[in-house]
Amino acid sequence: MEAAHKKEERKSVFSDYDYSNFYYGAGDDPVNLLGPFREWYQEAKPNGYYLYSEPLSSAPATHVQVRNGKTGAVHDLLNLASYNYLGISYREEVKQAAIEAVNKYGLGASGSPILSGTFDIHEELAREVASFKAKDAAILFPTGYSANVGFISSIMRSGDTIFCDQYSHASIVDGAILAKSKTVFFRHNNPLDLERKLGGVRGKKLVVVEGVYSMDGDVCVLPEIVDVAKRHGARVLIDEAHSTFLFGANGRGVAEHFGLDQEVDFHLGTFSKSLGGQGGFVCGGRDLIDYVNAFGRSRFFSCNLAPPLVAGLRAGLAIVEGEPELRAKLWSNVAYMRRRFAEEGIDIGKSTSQVMPVLVNNDAKVFAVAEKIQDRGLYLQPVTYPAVPKHKSRLRISVSAAHTEEDLEQAVRVIASVLREEGICR
Amino acid sequence: MSLTRYGYRNAISGFFEFPTDNARRILPAGLEPVELHHGTSIFSMTVFDFTESEVGAYGEAVMSVIVVPLVKPGERLPKSAFYPYLVATTTRAAREHAIERWHLPHWMEDVEIAFEPQGNRLTAKVAADGAPVAEMAVGDYSWNPVSHLYQSFMRDGDKSYLASITMEGEQSEHEEETGRVRLHEHAFNKDLAVSEVYDVPFREIWMRNGAQTFQPLVQLETA
Repeated sequence: MEAAHKKEERKSVFSDYDYSNFYYGAGDDPVNLLGPFREWYQEAKPNGYYLYSEPLSSAPATHVQVRNGKTGAVHDLLNLASYNYLGISYREEVKQAAIEAVNKYGLGASGSPILSGTFDIHEELAREVASFKAKDAAILFPTGYSANVGFISSIMRSGDTIFCDQYSHASIVDGAILAKSKTVFFRHNNPLDLERKLGGVRGKKLVVVEGVYSMDGDVCVLPEIVDVAKRHGARVLIDEAHSTFLFGANGRGVAEHFGLDQEVDFHLGTFSKSLGGQGGFVCGGRDLIDYVNAFGRSRFFSCNLAPPLVAGLRAGLAIVEGEPELRAKLWSNVAYMRRRFAEEGIDIGKSTSQVMPVLVNNDAKVFAVAEKIQDRGLYLQPVTYPAVPKHKSRLRISVSAAHTEEDLEQAVRVIASVLREEGICR
Repeated sequence: MSLTRYGYRNAISGFFEFPTDNARRILPAGLEPVELHHGTSIFSMTVFDFTESEVGAYGEAVMSVIVVPLVKPGERLPKSAFYPYLVATTTRAAREHAIERWHLPHWMEDVEIAFEPQGNRLTAKVAADGAPVAEMAVGDYSWNPVSHLYQSFMRDGDKSYLASITMEGEQSEHEEETGRVRLHEHAFNKDLAVSEVYDVPFREIWMRNGAQTFQPLVQLETA
């Protein structure tokens, strides 16, 4: 009986707390939170948190080898978790380009982009990205995170105001913090609230939105946001991390999709999603790019992108431009999944993109659901508070053009069966 | 160790976004606001329907800023911490008791507090000097028994205090954004830039049929 009581007490350590409880803590020693966090994490990990960061031992293709974080066994799983939306990262021509670049340049750039780290292929990739986005120029960053942090802090200052969607990616928020600007959050995808908050604000104003929001898979209501921003004299930055190379007639992104390429002032994207590589970029006029080159600290205080990676990205971009049917296949797969989820009564919220949240809406059950799904052959991760609001837990799915209809049907059937068994859907 | 217990029928809280600038104007030196987002802190309103205490039954409204908790090695981690900058009670006895024992800053007149249940929502209306000062509604979600530790920081003159409080009872907690607060222009709300408090709580907590237990007050060297 006493043992059972202790077990119950230990369980409550896990269930009563979450990551948010270990962020803040006053006291006289910066390591005071380590002990309580360790105690919690020791319980949280076997209860489901082990599902995060399970190591892969294969390419992020549609099927992956994953080492189970609890048992250590390696399993072949159907991959619904990678960002590799067009299946480009492991294409033969991409790998070959990287191999050739290794032979020519070696491993790394060995320098800052403003000193010795810029190679000919960096300039070529920047030119090709600018051409693809139909802009005058582009500038490369080591990661998408670095692109937001570096770009926002390069153009905004103390005394300015940045208006961010409440669901903004951490890189946008951190960019605003680094800029030391006043930061105002508007309700998610809500132009009316943005309008209310822009009212009466003087000085330099920047509105930051994302083409596709990564936790909900919904698309920015860009026409309304741009209209409000312009009426209040604010500039607009769109982060198209999850939408560049996918949306729009030419794959330029959500701004192109809405015919607002010219109205949006600043265009940012990443190479880690649809190209399956790494890095970020900003596109715009020559003056803008020269200015960001001078003041984008996250960029020039980092080593430049590794040349083999850049070579692979160039090959990937060539595939995107040469094979528009890849985008068509992706949207066909997205439509298939949306239809099948609807038929099975599975709630994917407001998603209209390749990012689909399967809403579990039960923080206590989401890890058990995710474990069961992995046991039945699917690789995906649960998302829970504080990454999303309390009781809005979900399984996040990334659909790829590389998935076959058989892959997708298998995924739907496994997810539906587990959700029914757990009473999440009927 | 002598504990002080307050039994309640209902206790409802709303957590509202408001500017960190406003939070810092309220907080004494040494206390840091918890930020929901960069530049956005958390204003909390809690209304109690106490059914038993050393001073009988009474209603209480607590206006707070959520602050960084004090963490000490080997001690239980609090769920959160708050700085109550204004407390209002329906009886003089309750007010005198809380000032004397807990050094809580009070609205120095009796207020009127009314709870109005409606379906799965509960609204608390607070009036002072015969005029409405605040109305807050929260909705329920799912109910679970809990026992959570909180910290309350108080400042009285040049002295700083910490109360560790355990809240027990049935709890509903969610972020469905179904609640609402209306803060009236009134001296009661003079510390808030009312127009900058977002009127929909990002978190709603409703506790019922439970007890709030205070451990003995601790005087801090610094707040």
